[in-house]
Amino acid sequence: MTAERLRMTGIVKRFPGTVALDGVELSVRPGEVHCLLGENGAGKSTLMKILAGSYRPDEGTILLDGRPFSPATPHAGLAAGIAVIYQELDLLPDLTVAQNLLLGRAPRLGPFVRRGRRARLAREALDRVGATFPVTTRVRDLPIAAQQLTAIAKALTADARVIVMDEPSATLSESELRGVFAVIRSLTAEGRSVIFISHRMEEVMEIGDRATVLRDGRTAGVYDLASTGRDEIVAAMIGEARELVGATGRPVPEGEPLLSVERVHVPGLIDVRGLDVRPGEVVGLAGLGGAGRTTLLRALFGDLRAHVAARLDGHPLKVAGPASAVRAGLALVPESRKEQGLMLGLSVSRNAAISALGRPPWLLPGRLGRRVTEPALASLGVKAAGPGQPVGQLSGGNQQKVVLAKWITRGGIRVLLLDEPTRGLDVGAKADLYRQVRHLADQGVAVLLASSELNELTANADRIQVLYEGRNVACFDPRVSPESVIAHTVITGATP
Amino acid sequence: MTASIGSTVTATAGKEGGARSRRGADLIVKSNLLLVFLALCVVASLLAPQFLTGRNIANLLQQSSLTGIVAIGMTMVVLTAGIDLSVGSVAAFGGMTIALLMAAGVPVVPAILVSVAAGAVFGAFMGGLSAYLSLPSFMTTLAGLTAVRGLTYLLTDGKPAEASGSEAFQLLGGGFIGYVPIVGIIFVVITVLAAVVLRGTTFGEYVYAVGSNKEAARLSGLPVRGVITTVFAVSGALAALAGVLLTSRLTVGQPTAFNGLELDAIAAVVLGGTNLFGGRGGVFGTFVAVLLLSVLRNLCNLLGLGSFFQMVVTGLILLVALVLNMLIERRGARA
Repeated sequence: MTAERLRMTGIVKRFPGTVALDGVELSVRPGEVHCLLGENGAGKSTLMKILAGSYRPDEGTILLDGRPFSPATPHAGLAAGIAVIYQELDLLPDLTVAQNLLLGRAPRLGPFVRRGRRARLAREALDRVGATFPVTTRVRDLPIAAQQLTAIAKALTADARVIVMDEPSATLSESELRGVFAVIRSLTAEGRSVIFISHRMEEVMEIGDRATVLRDGRTAGVYDLASTGRDEIVAAMIGEARELVGATGRPVPEGEPLLSVERVHVPGLIDVRGLDVRPGEVVGLAGLGGAGRTTLLRALFGDLRAHVAARLDGHPLKVAGPASAVRAGLALVPESRKEQGLMLGLSVSRNAAISALGRPPWLLPGRLGRRVTEPALASLGVKAAGPGQPVGQLSGGNQQKVVLAKWITRGGIRVLLLDEPTRGLDVGAKADLYRQVRHLADQGVAVLLASSELNELTANADRIQVLYEGRNVACFDPRVSPESVIAHTVITGATP
Repeated sequence: MTASIGSTVTATAGKEGGARSRRGADLIVKSNLLLVFLALCVVASLLAPQFLTGRNIANLLQQSSLTGIVAIGMTMVVLTAGIDLSVGSVAAFGGMTIALLMAAGVPVVPAILVSVAAGAVFGAFMGGLSAYLSLPSFMTTLAGLTAVRGLTYLLTDGKPAEASGSEAFQLLGGGFIGYVPIVGIIFVVITVLAAVVLRGTTFGEYVYAVGSNKEAARLSGLPVRGVITTVFAVSGALAALAGVLLTSRLTVGQPTAFNGLELDAIAAVVLGGTNLFGGRGGVFGTFVAVLLLSVLRNLCNLLGLGSFFQMVVTGLILLVALVLNMLIERRGARA
């Protein structure tokens, strides 16, 4: 029998009105990268919160290195050697790296902090993850990848035996991800175990040793990744055969461009020239993190100062700000749906109606709001307890649909700008969202789709514009150019 | 394994139930305040027989209405996640302006309009600064609190101003219809108007949206800056109106009036269940809270308890209400 670092058996967790976990099994060996997979709502987060000590399980046992383990608080979990690195890195942005790394555990002399010793300990931790920035940097001033390394280093200063990483890649660019993977490998080489949660199958196949798939609060299977095909695992996650990507072999939209960008210039950031989108066309924007995809979309939407020379339907496009962009027929699904897309505390129908209110009827009793949003919410298949449910309680996929519903309810969209619309969504929700986008395109909307997921772009875009360091360097037809060729341009900026 | 069968049933019904129980919790929070208010009234009538007399209740309404009118404006500001610390000074300015205008022989209606408009302009200026330059409204209105109070003193070099108005004008602030004070009617009308605006109009929906998530509201194409500027203008106008009504009742404009009014108004807003971080709450909670605080004060008066004691009791009630709201909300969030 193989030695086990961690064994969770028969874990049950009920919340009022729902069973989040219904007898989950999880076994992790020392020195392995164990991937935890499952669609949104499968129970991954709940399971990890139980492991960390944030939740108490209703039933089930946990063995850590063979000993019973039941952390009552996150502090107890950390003390026992379980460190969880959440997606929204729980670092304090205004404190320095050193302060964050040894928060609550700083070396002291009486009531005084031994700053020199703390800095030395912090430096050692940073060195171990290969980070070179000074420990006196404020976390706020660090790029996101460096913050990720800081969070990992923090887990190391606690001498964690089990490190849980919740979607570390969601905010990282390809090269930054390489760095984090290298650190993960060095951690497992020391005998530590890493539980890796991700939606990106490529990463899972690359970094993982084994994987546990959760579905509907139960363990759907445990797989040895070296000997299992990707499709088998995806099938286990979904539970049923479902078409993953959009249609290929559509007719190419023809005719005059609806949106014709002559030049978008933001000094020091981007200088994009000659980008056209025809009605009914989905144009993908590919590029590394920082290549300027978000900046381009924000500039078109009037959300930052930019020199924009563009024509909409032959007329010059003049956008003074988001409000005037909306009036012109532009719609943006922003990068971060929670911070930028939704009023989380308000109900589903109020969120979906909010952009439609700028036009008569000016009086809007609650019932009318529900009635006008109903068609959009129904056609998008938003799953909610009712139109009155706060949108913050929905799953990520349904939240993103509400953002889309906001624009559909308003109507009159000419150009749809999508910025990483599938971030954090599971496979099924992604397919669903792209189906809706295609549906809008079929009605004559011009779509600009920015994504870090090249396979999603090749599956869903009619053309792919590659941005590199703020310039559009090449345009590909995904039916002709293989993904590897496009990827090469994305990474190097060189046209084939 | 009856547990698992039962749980699947509740799981399907669970989501619907979650929303319902949340609505239930909201209802409890609201009616909670109302229940406490009614209980307090019962206690008051038992402890002090004079409490339920028409004259006393009329007095009570008269006293609470001015703070109430200001608190309604404050509620709208707080719903957008802002705060207006300048209401006391603006109210005093409004009161002095109308006194001077009346003394100069300006007819009642234009005098009132000018005074209220002055309040709206102050409010719009401070709110506009906050909205367009992204300054915290706490700071712009703190500056306003000082500057407008200073301006008020400058009008008459700190002396009170005789309003020398018509009787009709005096009725506005001091008159009664039967036992009902006219300012009380104004308070109720403004509350209802504000409720209709907040719940039934696009602008009201924008107020909640801006308070809930300013960034998302902006990217949804909403005129965020305009909404913020407007709620501060409304707050300023209502504050100035309160000043006008006070001058009408006293027939004299007091430059020192309404000191600390902002704290009373904020206390009522918070006690009424409006979230200081915006996006949640409404004017009915504020309405009940204003009356509750006023009954409390009235009861202390009737019992012969001094104002020092009143301050302690008011503070404690506020604390208890906040803790209670928090507990109920937390329970609602977990469900």
